[in-house]
Amino acid sequence: MATKKKGTTRPPTSGSTSTSVPSIRIRMYRIGFGDCFLVTLDGQHHILVDCGVHNKGGIVVNGKSLIDLAFQNIVTTAGGKLDVVIATHAHQDHVSGYGKFADQFAKFNHIGEVWMPWTDDLSNATARSWHQKKKALVGLVQTYLTARADKEAQAAIENAGPNPAAMQALRQGFGKAKVRYLKAGDQLDAPAGVTGFSAKIMGPPEDQDFISKMNPPGSDHYLRMAAAQQTGKGTHPFVGWELSPQQMDPKWPQLKQNVVKMMNESLKFSARAVAFSLDKLLNNTSIVALLSWRGKHLLFPGDAEYGDWAYWYKKSGSQVLSDICFYKVAHHGSWNATPKGALAEMPLGAFGAMMSTQSSPWPSIPRPALEKAIDERTGGALLRSDSIPVAGAPAGPKLNQLPPAFVKGNLSKNEFWVDYNIP
Amino acid sequence: MTLQVPYEYPLTPGPVGEYVAVVDYDAPNRCYYEPVDLNDRWLLANDGLSPAESDPRFHQQMVYAVVSETISRFKFALGRDLAWHRSRTDSTFGNRLLLIPHGIQEANAFYDPTMHAIVFGYFTASETDPGSNIPGQTVFTCLAHDIIAHETTHALVDGIRRFFMEPTNPDVPAFHEAFADIVALFQHFSVQEALVEALRGTRGTLYREPSPDVKPEGAPQIGAEQKRNNPLVILANQFGDGIGLHSGLRQCIGTTPDPKALEHMIEPHERGQILVAAVFDAFFTIFLRRTADLWRIAGISRDDARDVDLQGDLLYRLAAEASKTARQVETLCIRALDYCPPVDITFGDYLRALITADHDLVRDDDLGYRAAFIDAFRMRGIHPDSVTSYSEESLLWTPPGKRTRLPGLRMPSAGITYEERRSVLGKNAKMLFSFAQANAASLGIVKKENIFVDSFHAINRVGPDGNIVFEMVAEVIEKGQHEDTGDDPRTYGGVTMVFDSQGNLRYAVRKSLKNDRSTNQAAFRRELWERTAVGPYSPYQNTTLDFRAIHRGF
Repeated sequence: MATKKKGTTRPPTSGSTSTSVPSIRIRMYRIGFGDCFLVTLDGQHHILVDCGVHNKGGIVVNGKSLIDLAFQNIVTTAGGKLDVVIATHAHQDHVSGYGKFADQFAKFNHIGEVWMPWTDDLSNATARSWHQKKKALVGLVQTYLTARADKEAQAAIENAGPNPAAMQALRQGFGKAKVRYLKAGDQLDAPAGVTGFSAKIMGPPEDQDFISKMNPPGSDHYLRMAAAQQTGKGTHPFVGWELSPQQMDPKWPQLKQNVVKMMNESLKFSARAVAFSLDKLLNNTSIVALLSWRGKHLLFPGDAEYGDWAYWYKKSGSQVLSDICFYKVAHHGSWNATPKGALAEMPLGAFGAMMSTQSSPWPSIPRPALEKAIDERTGGALLRSDSIPVAGAPAGPKLNQLPPAFVKGNLSKNEFWVDYNIP
Repeated sequence: MTLQVPYEYPLTPGPVGEYVAVVDYDAPNRCYYEPVDLNDRWLLANDGLSPAESDPRFHQQMVYAVVSETISRFKFALGRDLAWHRSRTDSTFGNRLLLIPHGIQEANAFYDPTMHAIVFGYFTASETDPGSNIPGQTVFTCLAHDIIAHETTHALVDGIRRFFMEPTNPDVPAFHEAFADIVALFQHFSVQEALVEALRGTRGTLYREPSPDVKPEGAPQIGAEQKRNNPLVILANQFGDGIGLHSGLRQCIGTTPDPKALEHMIEPHERGQILVAAVFDAFFTIFLRRTADLWRIAGISRDDARDVDLQGDLLYRLAAEASKTARQVETLCIRALDYCPPVDITFGDYLRALITADHDLVRDDDLGYRAAFIDAFRMRGIHPDSVTSYSEESLLWTPPGKRTRLPGLRMPSAGITYEERRSVLGKNAKMLFSFAQANAASLGIVKKENIFVDSFHAINRVGPDGNIVFEMVAEVIEKGQHEDTGDDPRTYGGVTMVFDSQGNLRYAVRKSLKNDRSTNQAAFRRELWERTAVGPYSPYQNTTLDFRAIHRGF
């Protein structure tokens, strides 16, 4: 139940010895810019939802990365046993830890299942060709961006990099787990043999409409352009007709220099536009999962932006959303990732929410107006990861008093996490 | 197919005419192509260059012809001369719109108000994934009738309602796209030869008896059970650009109307398809009314009309009626522009503009044109604000409460010099400004000091009975309080005023900044920004419509 004690009573590192074990405990780690959540059911079943941090949004304390500390806590808390490991989507800030600690995950006594979106299934031809294209585009954008100082786009494209170590480890199930590639419509009952646990998958969809939107606009054109530049073979539609401005008859019309300049400018590869549209596409491949345990429902939408939500919440939103006990705020609190209509369906004052975020590397995240709206909807039960104070790191709103049902770790023991307990 | 274009003199190589200048600059290859000289005697005698993909001069001629045709349709429909949105580039071509047939290497074509140009792209179809093209073939967007008419319409609409470039509600960008597609579609339909070719030997549900009335509660029935296997529906899609620039805009044509579809569509092409479908529904209903007698004469009853092989005289008569109807519907659609509000248009406003424009010119609606439009729009869930019913009377725009008159407005007569014309228009603008300030309250103006007169036009239209209608149309814009305050979204109100030749104010089409309009516009613009890919990562910026991006899908 609700506690207002300030970290003096530490929840036990192993749930089984606790006197009042919450039915569900959601632990949010402060790791920097990224997501890392450990869900514990009845103190004995553990589900890890994402484990990653952006390379420009990491935090180091006393020579230790916060994500290292988080991982150590996961090891001890879960006692070397994870029932389900979820990688909602292949962005660095959600999966980097799976690569960094791949060897140690492999040494766990037990990992039941690994869940990834179907878009990461390399046996799927659509997913495979999409990955090839994505790789080429990321490369293209990186070559163009390095020449120019565009910090925001740079951070977005780094996030979309391939993360090969993490993805390989996940796809192999760390050598021991069953791997599932999920799509909208999947219903998992008692996954990993955990009776009473189920998951309803709302995203990403696998229909043609969605797939057609996975192609970044203009990308084919840009890729062809890059290939043509490499081979030096441009397209010349009218060989023999080409005239330089000097060769033109003075009576023939020519563009003024300012228009020529605008035309030439418009040809440039818009690395910034492609970087952000790739980022959005990848976010929209997020697994959107409603995790259920004994009639209690938790919504983990990854980084789903409007395009992913739009597929399901207007159709089945009210049934799913009106009943949730917990909401992991999508995409670190960006405006587009929690549709107003969806928030309005969530039960007023009857759920808790956690937002893993900080103002670096993108100062525009999270959006204050959205944060306020979620906080109001939850009845004051929203917690930001950057409210957990870390010396020298970007600071979120100060917490004088934790909202009820939240418990925070002991900072003096390097416990940079907060729990949300559901009885 | 031959396009007849008005003879222009002087027409210099390019072609460079009164309204447009074709300048064939290929930016990726940094070169020009020799311009066509349509006054060349040899070319004149041969009706222009014959189709040849390998001769850039044919491309220039094609662009010039289709653009000129579109412009003359607008001039005819509006009953007045046209002006482009003022160019900011101060080009050597006066205010002529630049047409650049081979400007970029991209599967795109777009109107760019900053360059004051329509830029057409060309590209090589992919070897592995060519879509509907031949692998490795060079595809030119400047040879697609549909694309040329579409982009020209964007430019023309921008000249008529420049504040429609401000995305102040979800219908504004969708209207720009849908309207451009409607013009392109009906322009194509009005070419009778093309229809005959396509209708010959086709089978499909071209004809079912029009349902006598459309019941509000009943299952939607429109255009006598128009179906997707209807040859005219198939044609609408075949006439598409083949490149897929505006695919999507015609997806709803021939589908059963869903009055709820609009509720959850934001993206301009998605939303625009509803308006395109509504207009097509109206067209089809009118076409059926006009041709019911032909089927009776031919002795074909509604039950066996389904699979008729169209041929002979019936085929030609049907094609003639279809093309005539297309031309009338296109004219009506364009004419309505002058009756649209100056800013913040909605599809519902457009319906009211259509009905009022047609009512003004054709009092007696014996073929039920207006009824067809009203039914079609209602079926697609397009509902005008603050209108209590879909009756013609309540849809007509209204004058302000009390009788208001502005005497002394002058129509610039045809033969006067440029300076005289400027002086007449300048005096009109001053009078209109004082008039708007004096009648601010009844015109929905909130802050008198924030208004300006944006346009004034004298209109002469000829109705079907030979009746001539003189009117004057003026736009007044009110800048919202958000203007010029850094990152705040820009908002606009305003009023379109239609005067009769005596200066009586007949209609005031108001978009008052009262009633939360400012707040709603600001909220929508912010939402639009957040939905962009870069939105989450950077602060709000005011943007105007970017057709290059819209057509590409960014």
